[in-house]
Amino acid sequence: MLMPPFTLHNPTSVEEACSLAGMLLEKGEEFDWVAGGTDLLPNYKWHINPKPHVISLARIDGVDTLSLHEIGCMARLGDLTEENGIHPLIVEAASKVASSLVRRNATLGGNLCLDTRCFWYNQGEDWRRSIDWCHKADCGTGADCRVIPNQNTLCVATYQGDIAPTLMVLNAEVHLIGPNGLRILPLSEFYQLDGMTKNVLAKGEFLLKVTLSEESAQRTGSYQKLRVRDSWDFPEAGVAASWVPGDASSLQIATTALESIPRCHPEEVATVLEAGWDGMNSVKALAASVRKSIKPVNNTSLPPRYRKSMVRVLTKRAVEKILD
Amino acid sequence: MSGGYRQQPGASGGTTRKDGKRVAGKQAFPPPGSGGSRPKMSTRDLDFIPESVGGKEPQPAGSHIHDRVRTGTSVGKEMPLVDSNAKVTGQAWYGDDVRLPNEVIGKILRSPHHYAKIKSIDTSRVEALPGVLAVATGADSPHRFGVLPVTKDEHAMAVEKVRHVGDLVACVAAIDEATALEALNLFDVEWEVLEPVFDPKKGLEDADEPIHWRGKYHLAKTNVQKRVFQEFGDRSLVEKPHAASHGKWNMAGVHHGFTEPHAVVAHWDPNGRLQLYTPQQVPHYTHRALSTVLEVPMHQINVIRTFVGGGFGGKSDPFPHEMCAAILSRKSGRPVRITFDREEVYWINRGRHPSHIEVKMTADEDARISGFDIDALIDGGGFASFGHVTSYYNGVLATAPYELGSFHYTGARVWTNKPASGAMRGHGAVNTRCAVEVGLDEMAETMKVDPIDLRLANLLPPHSRTISGFRITSNGMREALEKVREGSNWDDKFRQLPLGKGIGIGCGFFISGSGLPIHWDPNRFPHATVHMQVDMDGGVTVHTGAADIGQGSTTAVAQVVSEVLALPIEMIHVRSHESDTSPVDLGSYSSRVTFMNANAAIRAALEIREQLLNAAWEILGYHPNNLVLNDRRIYYKHDPAIGVSYLKALHKAQEDKGALIASGAYRSPPMGGVHKGAAAGLAPAYSFSAYVAEVDVDVETGLIKCTNVWAAHDCGKALNPLAVKGQIIGSCHMGLGQVLSEKMVYGRTGHLQNPNLLDYKIPSVYEMPHVEPIIIESCDPEGPFGAKEAGEGPLLPILPAVVNAVYDAIGIRLRDLPLTPDVVFKGIEKALKASEHEDPTDLPSPRLTHGALQPTLVARAQEHKIRDKARQRTEDTSPYVNGVLFGFDPTIPLEDQVEGWRTATEPDPEQLAELGLAGRAWLKKEQRHMEGEN
Repeated sequence: MLMPPFTLHNPTSVEEACSLAGMLLEKGEEFDWVAGGTDLLPNYKWHINPKPHVISLARIDGVDTLSLHEIGCMARLGDLTEENGIHPLIVEAASKVASSLVRRNATLGGNLCLDTRCFWYNQGEDWRRSIDWCHKADCGTGADCRVIPNQNTLCVATYQGDIAPTLMVLNAEVHLIGPNGLRILPLSEFYQLDGMTKNVLAKGEFLLKVTLSEESAQRTGSYQKLRVRDSWDFPEAGVAASWVPGDASSLQIATTALESIPRCHPEEVATVLEAGWDGMNSVKALAASVRKSIKPVNNTSLPPRYRKSMVRVLTKRAVEKILD
Repeated sequence: MSGGYRQQPGASGGTTRKDGKRVAGKQAFPPPGSGGSRPKMSTRDLDFIPESVGGKEPQPAGSHIHDRVRTGTSVGKEMPLVDSNAKVTGQAWYGDDVRLPNEVIGKILRSPHHYAKIKSIDTSRVEALPGVLAVATGADSPHRFGVLPVTKDEHAMAVEKVRHVGDLVACVAAIDEATALEALNLFDVEWEVLEPVFDPKKGLEDADEPIHWRGKYHLAKTNVQKRVFQEFGDRSLVEKPHAASHGKWNMAGVHHGFTEPHAVVAHWDPNGRLQLYTPQQVPHYTHRALSTVLEVPMHQINVIRTFVGGGFGGKSDPFPHEMCAAILSRKSGRPVRITFDREEVYWINRGRHPSHIEVKMTADEDARISGFDIDALIDGGGFASFGHVTSYYNGVLATAPYELGSFHYTGARVWTNKPASGAMRGHGAVNTRCAVEVGLDEMAETMKVDPIDLRLANLLPPHSRTISGFRITSNGMREALEKVREGSNWDDKFRQLPLGKGIGIGCGFFISGSGLPIHWDPNRFPHATVHMQVDMDGGVTVHTGAADIGQGSTTAVAQVVSEVLALPIEMIHVRSHESDTSPVDLGSYSSRVTFMNANAAIRAALEIREQLLNAAWEILGYHPNNLVLNDRRIYYKHDPAIGVSYLKALHKAQEDKGALIASGAYRSPPMGGVHKGAAAGLAPAYSFSAYVAEVDVDVETGLIKCTNVWAAHDCGKALNPLAVKGQIIGSCHMGLGQVLSEKMVYGRTGHLQNPNLLDYKIPSVYEMPHVEPIIIESCDPEGPFGAKEAGEGPLLPILPAVVNAVYDAIGIRLRDLPLTPDVVFKGIEKALKASEHEDPTDLPSPRLTHGALQPTLVARAQEHKIRDKARQRTEDTSPYVNGVLFGFDPTIPLEDQVEGWRTATEPDPEQLAELGLAGRAWLKKEQRHMEGEN
């Protein structure tokens, strides 16, 4: 595997990074951001959508903050697994990401912006040529989606990050910065269909940090991850739940690894709450309705039908755990 | 006494007084043999000298012919492998570590189609690219090759058509990798795409364009590469079974998953000889194939085996990329290096065959196994590879360790448009073994008996013959079963654990070396040859072609030489890398190396030993029968003070001839039946193993965690217990992968969906259970110091042990491997439906109340234990053949005793209608019998 050639830029401040991005945009040059590189570089080695320029965030000072209320984009996942005063739910999720080796490099920003995955897409060049490419990496051929053929408008690659759902149920906000300045929005609004768009980041923007409110500190949570090998597999399904103990109305559920984006399930929670909270019965009803609401497709290791069935189990376990 | 040195033994001094003068009557200790980290002779290690020759090493399984040459030096001692320093310091040179001056990079153009004819290849644009030094296509390599002489169906690059995505089409050598990759985009190939076959069941049917064409031997117009029929014994025994089991299995293909991808460097030296560096398990076959493909005599080719970063059967074929590198190097005049990406590793494959296996078995009212009926349809992918053998092994390796009333096997291997399957650790035996062992578990359950007791009461004894005519010598099966039963606390756990927790048993039986050297008649040439040379410095250089693929064959050879000559292992230098200096060896497959190569090495070492002893005789005046070799010294057995150093004896022996040279060889004794296919599965010895596995099953998700394994393996004699334990634990790991998570996934379009190590799920160390390796030593009469194989057999039992444990945990029989959580969950859903439970945590856990047969079995097992002990120690040497348990006389051919006892290798016409899935291949006729039907 030979890495395709690219120009690596190493800005040392956020401002420099933004102006660099602006400059490249003006010139019409394509580029990628790289943080830890554990997601981007394997894709590059497979020649999946490589760009001529890569801007690294690694040399920028002050973007690896780590506290109960703020986590910088360059915070390493390895540091998130240690109790550095951050929310225990984030620790739980971070410690389930990949392997300790990967976590030493991987970053929070990279994990939240993780490229969506699909077994028709995460393959070497020869392999993808043998299927005549796919919609997400069509190499200029306008190829169709291989998961759901005959619709070349949508990419259904799966988002398989672990940390996003936990931050969602903690009501985290993301700070996005770019040549046009800073904007702040709830993480639950950050992701955007489809598997190619992935999120609302505009060209030249990157995710600077995540902030968490005072309220989040009062929440307890649980993250349930389904995978074949506990050692380092991506999630095949993941469910996060949190609440302010004792207050059923504060309950939040989010799922990941089931669709092109991770998402919260406020409607399902609301419906169950409307019927009145009834302990385990409510948990079961909630688990069933979350299961119903998601639509996995066949592009990860385990079959979608099974993953969907597991949403019920994972949701039940996540909520049970926080009720304890 | 003449000459020699009289001297107090022992390492400590006392030869000089405090005032520096020499003690009267004592001389300075003669110089110890050069080499070795210890300057002084150590005392004889009686703990490693067998009882039979006066030592303290216990021999419960009896004495061995090699006991008399044991010196207590190396054999039986735990020692790190001799090449481990090179490996742990990163200095071992693997295929891709070879860097020759002026090397260029070779890349391979691969087929984007599953199945297509190549109408034309235009290479002009490639040749025009600056930096490209050579281009080759199928036209450069018209000669066929293949690992088995009977099925040579591969070319260096596709000639006429490609047979799977990733098949080799052309290759290019360029000044660097980037240029070579760029060049691949410039080939203009015109294709005619053909209709591919992916489903092996479809491969049984006639096709418009069979993947290969075998002329008059082709089976109709099917894609069947090989069909097998074997029937032994009395089939009437199965007609009214007391208990039966019937299971249809679907087993996914798995890959060896070795760490090192294939890599090769080819270089035509200034004398016009080819030097080929490759991590090969079987360098000799590559040597032969290169000679054919390149049209160069073998002596003009030097195959250099680099260190092998794991093989497991996956590096034992002569490979097309090896031919490509040689062709490109010849064309470009530069050394050419080709290293695979991981997906290319999966495309060349040779992993375990995806298999549909059906096993029916029956037991009679005495819980004797009256019949095995096995049908195996195996998916060979695009090429034959070892498949001819695999087709047999899927059946015949199930004929032991149990005594059978009858045995019926139909097997077929079909070509499909997928990467070729081949040999993988436990070759051909693994899948059927799993099906058979699970069937036994199921029969035990219907008969309400303990499955371990069912096995113990049906074992073939040591020194017996299987129903198919295999000669069993040593047999530690019984002891293995007893040890794991005891170690795992089986009697307190089996069918008594709560839902979700389970324990299961599985056994294994495997060949220790294949009885037939593929390329020649064993009566003409030996299986293995070892050369040995000792020069004035005292170091022993051993030349062997045995390919160390990490299993420790170099260490095993060094150990046995060290043992015979009583020299520290550091003084034994094994040279095994180059075909120029190694005697021809068949290589590392079929678990033959320790058995055959170490035996050959012992022969050679014995010759050297004799010369040394004769020299010592001359010096000391004592006959060799009265001399003892111990740690670089030879001395009089009744007075160790009278002796001579190894080096003195050596120099005496060298006086007239210079360096001592010896050559030793191993050949297997004549054995086996005469029926068609009788040689398949024939081995000079067999290994036996029994495992108990404990699992936790999450009944809501179907996730299985194997927590504990008690793994007993009969390796005859552990030459190096550390290495044996490593092989047991490693085998466990590999087998667990196959049973729990590993799977070559072919999607709806026939593409291999997971050709990478993230999606092809090999368990990591984190997923490993605690494995308790238990070494059983049955002391094989023909093995080197009693040793048999330990590299493949230990893989077999883990699969059924886990599947049976899962049943014990959740009461569901699963027959789709691997048992990924979705497969288990599907089984749970089905069970829920059938039992009208809603919550899987309410499922019943299986329980056992012993039935009337249990005491019968326990009593029979007890009797057999006494029988086996006597036979093992050769106190009872009466003949024993499969059938004695059913009341037959072993001294009279069974055909003469039982009407209907048969040995058949083709079905009777009236059987045709009832044959299983693979058996359907017998409905077709070969082309030569079809005249006028086309």
